[in-house]
Amino acid sequence: MGLFHKQKSQNGLSDEEAAELEGHFLDENFREELRNHGRLYFEKVINENARLFKEDLDATIVQVNTELKDHVVGRLDASIVRINDELKEHITKQLDDQFSQYGKVLKDAQDTALQSLSSSAQAVQEQHQQLSATLQKSIANQNVMATSLFEKNMAGMTATKEAQDAALQTLNGSVQAVQEQSQKLITTLQENIAKQEEALMRAFEGNMARVIEHYLLGALGDQYDLKAQLPSIIQQMEDNKQAILDDMKL
Amino acid sequence: MNESQIKTHADFVLSPNVVSKSDISRLVSEFERVDNDLTTASVRSKVGTNEPTQLALSPQLTDFLNQNALKPGNAKERGEIIKQLRLLKENVPVIHMTFAVTADGESLGQLVQWLRTSVHPQSVISVGIQPALVAGVYLRTPNHVHDFSLRTVLKSQHEVLVKELEILRGSR
Repeated sequence: MGLFHKQKSQNGLSDEEAAELEGHFLDENFREELRNHGRLYFEKVINENARLFKEDLDATIVQVNTELKDHVVGRLDASIVRINDELKEHITKQLDDQFSQYGKVLKDAQDTALQSLSSSAQAVQEQHQQLSATLQKSIANQNVMATSLFEKNMAGMTATKEAQDAALQTLNGSVQAVQEQSQKLITTLQENIAKQEEALMRAFEGNMARVIEHYLLGALGDQYDLKAQLPSIIQQMEDNKQAILDDMKL
Repeated sequence: MNESQIKTHADFVLSPNVVSKSDISRLVSEFERVDNDLTTASVRSKVGTNEPTQLALSPQLTDFLNQNALKPGNAKERGEIIKQLRLLKENVPVIHMTFAVTADGESLGQLVQWLRTSVHPQSVISVGIQPALVAGVYLRTPNHVHDFSLRTVLKSQHEVLVKELEILRGSR
C-alpha cells in the first residue's frame, strides 16, 4: 500500500519537514481512522474470499457426494450380486445335502415301518387264527351245554306239567268237595240262624218290657224335678191319707 | 208373760219354714244362744257395764216366736221355753220321705203344710234321696211304708207291657 511507503515530497520539503508534516498529519486520530478503514477493507476482502471459498466448497462437496454415491452404489451392486451368487450356491449345496440325508433317513424309516407292519400283520393273523379256533371250540361247548340244558328243562317241564295236571285234578275234586260242604254249611247255618232268630225274638220280647222300663226310668229320672212331681205325690198321699193317719195315731 | 201363760210343746205351732227335726234342733240351739246373750247382758248391767244387746234372730226363730206369741222375757221364762222346745223336738211326729231327686225348700214346705193340715199339726219330714225311684216318693211312717215311686208302678205293670208287646208283634 502506497500510504505506508516513504515518498519524496513533490513540493520540495526536506525529510525532516516532511517527517514533521507527516507527523503533523499522521497523528493518532488519523492513524486510528486509517486502521479502521483498513480493518473494514480487510473484513470485506475476507468475507468475499470466504463466500467464494464456501461456494467452491459447496460445489466440491456436491460433486464429491455424487461421485461417492455412484461409487458406493456400484460397489454395493457388485457385492450384492457376488454375495447372492455365493449364497445361492451355498444354500443349494446345503439343501442338496440335507435332502439326500432326509431321503436316506426316510427310506430307512420306511423300511423299518414296513418291516414292523409285516411282523404286526403276521402276529395279528396268528392271533386271529387262535381266536377263531377258540371261538369255534367255545361255540361247540355252548352248543353241547345248551342241548343238555334244553333236555333237562324239557324233562322238568314235563314233570311240572304232570304235577300241575295232578294238582288241578285234586283241586277240582277239592272244589267239588268244598262246594258240597259249603252247601251243607249254608243249609245248617240257615237253620241255625232261623233258630237263633226265633230264640232272639223270644228273648227280645221277654226283655223288651225291661228295656222300655229302663228307658223310661232313664228318661224321666233326668228331667222330672220335685216341683213337677209334687201334685202327683200329694194326690197319692191324699189317696192314702187314712192309712197314714191311722199309722200316726198308733 | 208369766209361767202359767207359757204354752206347752203340744200347743206350739210350727211355721212352714220349719220342715225337719233338724230345724227344730236349730231353733233350740238358737234360743239357747239368745238366752245366754240375754243372761250375759243382765249380768253386765248389774256390774255397771251396760252395753246395748243386739239380738240377731233367724227368720225361722222369728216366725216361731211370732206365731206362738212368745217373748224372751226373764231367765226363768226363757228356761221354760227351752225346756218345751226340747220336748217338742223329742215328741214331734216324723215322717220319712225319700225322693228320686233333690228336694227344694218350696216343695218341702208344701208337703209339710199338707201333712200338718191332714195328718198332724206338728208333723216334720226326714228327707232322703234315692235316684232309683225315678219319680214319686217313698214314704215311711212309724209303722208302715207307702211306696208311691214310679219304679214300683212300672214293676207292677210289667206283665201288662209284655202282653202289649206280644200283641204288637202278632199284628206285624
